[in-house]
Parts: sequence; structure tokens; C-alpha cells
Amino acid sequence: MPKRHAPSLPPSPPRADALAKALGAERYAFDARPEGCLWAGAFRPGALFGPEGGMAHGRVRGVDTTAALAVPGVLRVLTAADVPGANLQGIVHKDQPVLCGEVLRHAGDPVALVLAESPEALRAGLAALRADIEPLPGVFDPEEALKKGAPQVHAGRKGGNLLLGAVIEKGDARAALKSVPVLVRGEFSTPVQEHAFLETPCGVAQLLPDGALQMTVSTQSPFRDRFEIGHALGLNPFKIRVRAPHLGGGFGGKDGATVQCLLGLAALKAGGRPVRMVWDREESILAGYKRHAVRLRYALGAERDGTLVALSCRVVFDTGAYAHLGSEVMELSMEHAAGPYRIPHVRVVGRCVYTNNPIAGAFRGFGVAQVSPAFESLMDELAEKLGLDPLALRRKNALRHGDENCSGVRLTGSAQLTDCLDAVAAHPLWTTREAWRAGAPAFTRRGVGLAAVFNGMGYGRGLADMAIAKLELTEAGGFLVYNGVPDMGQGNSSAFALLASQELNQPPSAIGLVQPDTEQCLPSGSSSAGRTTYTYGNALLKACAAMRVKLLSRAAMALFCDNLEGMELLPGMVRHRPTGKSLPLAAMAGFLSRDDRVCVAEALMPVAQNPPDTGKSFFIGFPHLLFAYAAHLARIEVDELTGRVRVCDYLAVTDGGRVLHRQGFDQQAQGGVAQGLGYALLEDFRLAEGRILTGDLSTYLIPTALDLPDIASEAVEGCEETGPHGLKGVGEVGLNGPAPAVGAALYEATGARLRDLPFTPERVLTALRKKPRRRRT
Amino acid sequence: MNVLTPRELPELFAALAAPGARVLAGGTDLLVRLRADLRQGRKVPSSLVRLDGLEELCGVAREPDGALRLGAATTHAGLLAHPLVRVELPVLAAALADLGSPPIRNMGTLGGNLCTASPAGDTLPPLMVLGASVELASAAGVRRMALADFITGPGRTRLAPGEIVTAVLAPSAREFAVRHFEKVGRRSALAVAVVSLAALLRLDARGKAVEARLAWGSVGPTVWRCPEAEAALLGQRPTLTALKRAAAVVRARVQPIDDLRASAAYRSEVAGNLLLRLAAL
Amino acid sequence: MKLSFILNGATVRLDAEPDRRAVDLLREELGALDVKEGCGTGECGACSVLVDGVQKLSCLMLAAQLEGRTVVTAAGLGTAEKPHPVQRAFAEHGAVQCGFCTPGMAVAAAGLLAENPAPAREDIRRAVSGNLCRCTGYVKIIDAVEAAARELAARKGKTEDAR
Repeated sequence: MPKRHAPSLPPSPPRADALAKALGAERYAFDARPEGCLWAGAFRPGALFGPEGGMAHGRVRGVDTTAALAVPGVLRVLTAADVPGANLQGIVHKDQPVLCGEVLRHAGDPVALVLAESPEALRAGLAALRADIEPLPGVFDPEEALKKGAPQVHAGRKGGNLLLGAVIEKGDARAALKSVPVLVRGEFSTPVQEHAFLETPCGVAQLLPDGALQMTVSTQSPFRDRFEIGHALGLNPFKIRVRAPHLGGGFGGKDGATVQCLLGLAALKAGGRPVRMVWDREESILAGYKRHAVRLRYALGAERDGTLVALSCRVVFDTGAYAHLGSEVMELSMEHAAGPYRIPHVRVVGRCVYTNNPIAGAFRGFGVAQVSPAFESLMDELAEKLGLDPLALRRKNALRHGDENCSGVRLTGSAQLTDCLDAVAAHPLWTTREAWRAGAPAFTRRGVGLAAVFNGMGYGRGLADMAIAKLELTEAGGFLVYNGVPDMGQGNSSAFALLASQELNQPPSAIGLVQPDTEQCLPSGSSSAGRTTYTYGNALLKACAAMRVKLLSRAAMALFCDNLEGMELLPGMVRHRPTGKSLPLAAMAGFLSRDDRVCVAEALMPVAQNPPDTGKSFFIGFPHLLFAYAAHLARIEVDELTGRVRVCDYLAVTDGGRVLHRQGFDQQAQGGVAQGLGYALLEDFRLAEGRILTGDLSTYLIPTALDLPDIASEAVEGCEETGPHGLKGVGEVGLNGPAPAVGAALYEATGARLRDLPFTPERVLTALRKKPRRRRT
Repeated sequence: MNVLTPRELPELFAALAAPGARVLAGGTDLLVRLRADLRQGRKVPSSLVRLDGLEELCGVAREPDGALRLGAATTHAGLLAHPLVRVELPVLAAALADLGSPPIRNMGTLGGNLCTASPAGDTLPPLMVLGASVELASAAGVRRMALADFITGPGRTRLAPGEIVTAVLAPSAREFAVRHFEKVGRRSALAVAVVSLAALLRLDARGKAVEARLAWGSVGPTVWRCPEAEAALLGQRPTLTALKRAAAVVRARVQPIDDLRASAAYRSEVAGNLLLRLAAL
Repeated sequence: MKLSFILNGATVRLDAEPDRRAVDLLREELGALDVKEGCGTGECGACSVLVDGVQKLSCLMLAAQLEGRTVVTAAGLGTAEKPHPVQRAFAEHGAVQCGFCTPGMAVAAAGLLAENPAPAREDIRRAVSGNLCRCTGYVKIIDAVEAAARELAARKGKTEDAR
């Protein structure tokens, strides 16, 4: 049984990166501008405006480069014929051309790459390019794409448009659903979501005289990028060096190559000059990865006392033109499809389908954000049908430590959803809800909703979730942490500095950080999956322990002490307590060789032992063992005249194991909720035959400061015994709660269950029209 | 593109006479469009002629007839901060407070908002109900016309070549007891109006409307007026019942279009609904 | 054109194309890399600078419009040794995550406090509503601006007491 209420570490000091960022002194890949650099830009003809129109599927007959090459300052125009390697990128499936030579599969596909002396010349060169493309019939709906005779996105591919079909099954849901006393069902849809990180994909690259390719890029996965670039461009991945400075946001959208392969190609053809590539906002929306749109069909059965019995779920994923992480995201969706509940009979069927829509991929809440609105909506419906309190129904069925979850995994890790629910139940925002609802002003309806959510941590089985920490005693007697997992803003590198400072008993100023660099740091996986602080943190704790022993023993030697007893590591020195003799770390660094000043240690996230006999078609990722949990509460007002929804109050209670840095923990909760509220209410990604209609930030709307409430974050302190000091990753779980919590609040306010996200004013007003009278509460 | 900064009107008119010259006011709309033009290899102006060097185009003053003279190059924030605008033109002030975002309000100008003539232009419905007119000037002289005549369609005005808007003349709305503006956008800042309503009601001693002026934004190619709905309110107290009747007239007559931000049906319904808000004032 | 203006306290004189975007001039010519760009269309606020004390968007300004002006970017608000109260409060109150919106956000907040030293929470929300942040949900940003306002008030109190 995991310990509860483990003592907290001291109050959070400011993040190590915060002041430099507030001063504007932090340098991002966006700020890299080497002397004499060229500019590279991709030509994406499917998105052309004007008389040519746009198209999402076509045969490339040719690219007319004459006019572009005549533009002063344009040096090269590269096409697919210039790509030296496989010309295919992709993380798991290599199916995405760096430059398309034959077929355009979505509106953002590039067919040429322009190299120019200046951004102005680049822009003029891109505008002068013309492509001859024969339109092909496209397919834009994943269910249409599965029909016989549907246009094929990857012609000749075995399996056609079906990227992956999969089943996760436990018990006999089909039989159980036939005989359950109470049944609720529903069809749901969730939309594409754009990451809208503030720093668009960008970077610089250069081919060195020795043939090595070096790159500084805004990426979540520098170590893996080498292989993706190497495969696509026919290069030795170990002759590629990738550096990842602080990212201006990632959220999954920089997990995998964005600019990398194009930049690498440009650098190969730049005569040794450095090349810079920055996608502007429109290109970022056009060519970047998105959250998968999903259609879901559910049935949930229970006993009359509310005990859940069986669940059936079918999901259809639109992965767009390329696989990217489609199968892996769907895996998480399916594994979480039954919610954080104990259900003996579960059957989840998923189909991940190619279309000519934009490419979908990783996004915080990785598949889980898509299923949580559905399972929580059905829980509310069930509670109403049974006359039960929705919170009590959740509490009754909530997964606990030791339970078997819906994919058949025994939960050996910490699981404190019931504590989260109890904290919500005791919170004034919940206890005063009746009075609050009754106080609605004119033309306003109020509603309160809650949601219980969870999110798996780490890569799951089949792909070692490993990190390798490297720690160096510097010549000056300080320490350097060689971070292997990019910091996209979540503050993992600051957490590493904090851990090192605590473990080594040194002041924060003594700890320096080297941000990911494939040459100096060690492979530690991607910045994703709520794994960064967990996995690398565990490795770092081991490296710190090794460093401590090393320093104590080297000092014992120098101080003529017989053993380590009485030796202590103090700020800036090692001291032998009994004699008071001490040795400054700087002095010690002087007589240790570089090799001896470095400690390296690795950690591996545990996986489920004896995995259930299901989910066989997943290549990697199934199942997960450790989960973060949360209970969320939203209080909303609906304007009867316009259908606009205002979120008045929001509470997120999160189980992230032990909290190492409270401020960082709250940042993750609040940030996740903010993106989740955008997903629930505002972010309305629109497509017409594969062409993006919401292609900039004036049409794709993310929340401003006036669109969000003060989001309260509370922690249920526990302890995940496998985590660094008991921590679990909380980066993702916060995103999964807002859509279901707001959906439940909307039902209370309007009497209508909205099953299609986002809950736009128009959908809400339509719901109000159908239910003109206030639902009795 | 050359960028010119005239200090006197004659200098401005001379600069505008050059082929391909364009006026640059706050730039919050024009520079966005020029960026798109450059990305797509379209033609851009040969020169941009700034207005912010001309002091006479900025500021708020009282006209002899009591109307307020709003300099066309005054920024939205400048207008919003002016006590005369807040007190006498609250319906305009409410629209300005919701326009774009703080930096957009610090840069964008009233004249720019008018000349852009967007169907969603935030200052247009309030200025329409205020009965505002515009003062235009060119090398040929100065003329005035009603704002309603000035804007002829989406992005279209009666501005002659070489002519600029120098000021907006807005009569005070003091005698109107009910002064209301509401913008419905898809979010609370940096939003384009999906529907907006500006309303002025003059009431008699018994609280009955003796004059009603209503104007909607984003439901037609230009600001939309509905004399029938205005008439329906005359002689009535602005009760929910009376407003519902007028709202029904609005819904029956308004002919908005579908776009990315909302459907025509939503706009019609909300155009009527927004009137009901007057009952809660 | 010959261009002269004050950037973060120092007079700069340079030759510039008059139609160069101010953000490009500041970043590429003058190395003011603290000025970020997130959209190029005035929708995100990352490129915010103070021009004569007023928050403006440098992506929607041209070089010629800087002539004779006083421009302050985030780097001009304070230094590591002497951060602006807004910058210190951003760091202490957790208002910074990825940090890409932060320079523009700090500029907006400093502009607000110069004009309104005691803003209500709602005033702060409005004042930063032209600056998009995708990481924080704004809560801690607003907390930080409140804290900075308190610190400025305390400082002012001290100065007045000293008189």
C-alpha cells in the first residue's frame, strides 16, 4: 500500500530558468542566427490561395522552378529528386516524404525547398514557385475512408486506409451488456486541436567539413531525431548532432520531426553554410501535427446500485495523411476508454485511419483527452438514471491501488482518485453549489460539473522508458547536470537542478544545467508521456548518490581518513566531522581527472508484469502500469441570449504522488486545464475537403486571459514508491478533465447533453432552444 | 515600400498623389493584409503615407453645434481614455473597450476602423446609432457626409482617390436614457464580432420610448438597421414583452450569412436576442 | 533611411529600410532577441514593446515609425542584478513556463503598472489580454502582476517615508 501524506520537501524555490526568461535573456532555437546563414523554406502548393485554389490530394506532375531561381538571392530550389536518402520520415512508420515527388497527400505537403540569402528573397522565391498538380479525389472522413472504393491515401498499401485496427478486451462485455439492469449509450466526437505553442517550429543546421550535420532545433526528441533524419536523408545518425535549447512550448507537437529533415536537406546543399528555417504561424498550423479527431460509440452497463459491470467502446481515429504516432495515440485512447473505474467486462475496438486531412500526432493528453468527455458523460447519465449523486457514483467505482484496471493490469502503483474526489466533495465550490446555482443573474443559467480522469505515464511495454543522467563536478567545484530530456516549458530541467541541489547538499547557484545535446548528454528519450521528471529524475538521483559516494571516498583518501564514516558532503566541501578536516570541492576537482569527475546512471520505468492477453496488435505501448489521477470541478454560466459559456470557477485536485515542487505541480495542473478549457469551449479547428479554414491565430482561437477563471490547483499528497522521492508525472492529466467537467455543468445548466466538442455558443444555443425551461436542480 | 511621414495636410495630399501610394493609419489591419500579399507574391503599394505625424488629426474637441469631433488618427485607447467620450458617447466607449486587445487599441485608429469598413467593424454600429458623420479632406477641399452614406459595402467607402477621413463628428447621446452596446465574439478579447448591437432609446417622462435607434454589426455587408424593429419599440416601455416583439421583427428581417465564426441561423437568432438584454439594464 | 531612436536607454542610429518591420529591425539588426514573434499578425502579443511607454506590437510597426521614439523591450525593463519588479515577481510566483510569451507579457504588465499602480485582478486580466500564453492558464501571471504592484507600492511608500 503506498504511503500517504509523506512529508513534503521544503517550499518551492523559483524555477532555475524563470528569471532569465522574464528578463528576455533565455535563448531559444528561434534565436539562433549564425553569421552568414542562409534561409530555407518549404513550398506547400496544396495550400495556395487564389485562382489555383488549394487541394489536399493530387499527383505531382512537376515543379516549375524557373521564376523562383530568377529571384535575386534565391540560391537553390530542391525537389524530391534532390533528397539523398529514403525521403521518408516518421517515428514508427516511415511513410511521410520529406519532399513529395509523386503524390500530395494533404494540403500542407511540401514539394520543394528554397534556399535563399535572406528572408525577403526566400519569401519572393516561394511566391514565384509553381507546381503542376493533377487533382485526385480525396477522402476526408475516416469512416468513408474505410469503405470499399474509397480513394487510397497511400496507393498500393497493404491494409489500404486502415493504419491499425486493434482490440482491448477483458471479460465478456458483449454478453454482459445484454443482461445489465441499467444501460446508457452515446455517440461522441472530439475535434482536431492545434498545439499553438508560441514558438513555431524552427532551427538552424550546418554541414561541417568532416561531414557531420549539426542542428539546433526546437524539438522534444533530439536523440530520436537523429535516426529520423538519418533514415530520411541517408545519413549516419551518429554523425548528426542535435541540440535542443529551451523550447517555446511543445505539448507533443514537437515530438518528431517538424523542420528537422527539411533543415538537414537544406544544410546538405548549402555548401557548408549554416541554414535557418522558421515556420511562420500559418505554416505551423498547416504542416504541424494535431490532436486526432475521434469518433466514439459507447455503451456502459451497471447494476442498480451503481456498480459498473460492462463497457463497450468503438473509436475511429483520423490520423490524417501520415501515420506519425496515430497507432500509439489510439493505444492510449483505448487503454483509457473505460475511465478510471473498475469494470469487469470491457471491450474496446479501435480503428486508426488515413485520410487526406492534416497529420495528427502527439498532443498532451495523448488520446486520453478524446475519451474522457465520453466516459464521464456516460457516468453522469448513469448517475441521473439511477438517482445517484454523480460524485458518489464515481467514488464507488474508482480504481484503487491493487485493483485490476479495464485492460486487465493490476495497479501496483499509487492510485488515489478517491482522495481526489473526497477533496472535491469537501471543497466550498462543491458544497455551496446549490446556493450558487440559485443565484444566477438575468438571462443566465448556472451549472456545476465534475470529472474524474487519469493518464498513463511513460511509454508502456515494448519500448524501454529509460533515461541516462550525467552529472559532472566542475573544475570550479560546482556541478553540471547534463539534461537528456528537452525542457519544453514544463520545468523538468529546473526540477533536475533542484533535485541535484538537494541530493548533493549544495546551494542552487552551484548547480548548472546543460540542455539536451546529443554530443554531450546521454539518450534519455523524448520529452513526453508525463515521464521526463519521473524517469530522468530517478536516473539523476542515482547519479547524485554515486557522486556523493565518490566525493566522500576521494576526500577520505586525501584527508587520510580510514573509511567514510563521519564524512559529509557540505556546500562547497567535504568534511570529516570527527576531526573537522575538510576539503573544498574545487580543490578536489583539481586532482580528479575529467572522467573521474563524471557520474552516469540510468533508470528504467517499471512495466506491467504478466501483461494481459489482449491488445496484441499494438507494436509498442500496451499496457501502462502507472497513472496520475485527478478530479476536476467546473462552475459555469451560460448566457441564454447568445449561448456563450463563461467558466466562473475551476478546481483541479491531482494525485501526482509526492509533490517535489509545489509551484511546478500547480503550473502543470493550471496549464493543462487551460488547454482543456480551450479544447472544450473555444478551439474549433475547421476543415473543408482537407483544406484548413482556421489557418491562423485570428481564426483558430485559444484562450486569452479574459477567457479563463482563476484555476485552483490542489494536491492529494501520496507516494509512488517507484518515483523519484515518490513523484508521478502530472504533465498530461490536467488536460483530460475540463471537457467532461464543463460538459456536465452544461447539462445541469441547459438540460442537454452535448456530445460533440467543442461546446460552441452555437451548439449551446441550439441546446437551449430545445430545452427552453430550466431543469429542476 | 517607401514610408512617408507628412507633417502638414498639403504635404500629405502631395504624397498620396503618387501612383500606388496608400494611407497607413494604425496599421493593425493594413499591415496584416500586406504581410499576406507579400507571402503570396501579390502587388504591394509603392509607398505608405503615415497619418500619425499630423497633430490636427488627433484628439477630441467640442464642435460649435455641441457634437464631439473625434480626430480620425486618434487611437482607440486615446478615445477610450477621453472623459468626453466616456460621458457623452458611452455606447462608443463600450465598443472601444471590447475592440481587439490593449496593444491593438493602442495602435489602431478610429479612422482606420471606418475606412477598413469591415462588416464586423466594432465602432460602426455605435457611430451609426449616434448619427455620426465623417469629415473628408483632399487637395480639392473638405466635405462632410453621414457615416451611413460613407460606407457602401464590405471594405468599400466613398473615399475619393487622394482623400482621407480627417474626423468623425458624433452628436452627444446624453438625451438617450438607454445606451447599450454588446458584442458577441467567440472569445473575450482579440475577437471578431459574430453579432454586435448598438442601441439608443430616448424615453419620455413615463419611461416610454419616443425614439429608438438600433444598429447591428456582422449581420450584413455593412451595419444593418431595422426601422421596423425601431418602430415596434416606439411608445413602449422597454419591457421584456415589448423587446420580444421587436426581436421577432429583427429575426424575420435580418439576412446574415454563414461564415467560419457562426451560421446565418445563429446570427439571426442572436441579433434578435441581444435586444432582450435591454430589459435587464 | 537614417533612423535614430532610443532603445533600452541607449540612442541607436542606423540605416534601415523604412518598411522593415520593427520586430525584424530590433531582432535581426539590433540583436534584441528578447523580442519574440509568435504570429506576425498582431494576434499573440509576443512581440510587444513599449513605445514612449505604451504597449505596441512590433510585428505591426515599420522601422520608420520608430524614428525619434523611446523603445523599451523586456531586456530594457531590468537586469539580472536589478530586475524590474514585474520580472522578479514573474520568476517568484511561477508565472514563467516555456517563457516565450514572457518578455511580451512582462512588457504589457510593466506598461499597465506605469499607468495604473494599483490594478484590480480584472484590470490585470484585461491588460494582458492581448498577450497569449499557452502554458500557464494566466493564473500565476496575474498573481505575479499583483505582487509586483504591491512591491512597487511598498517601494514608493518607503521613498515617501524617507522624505
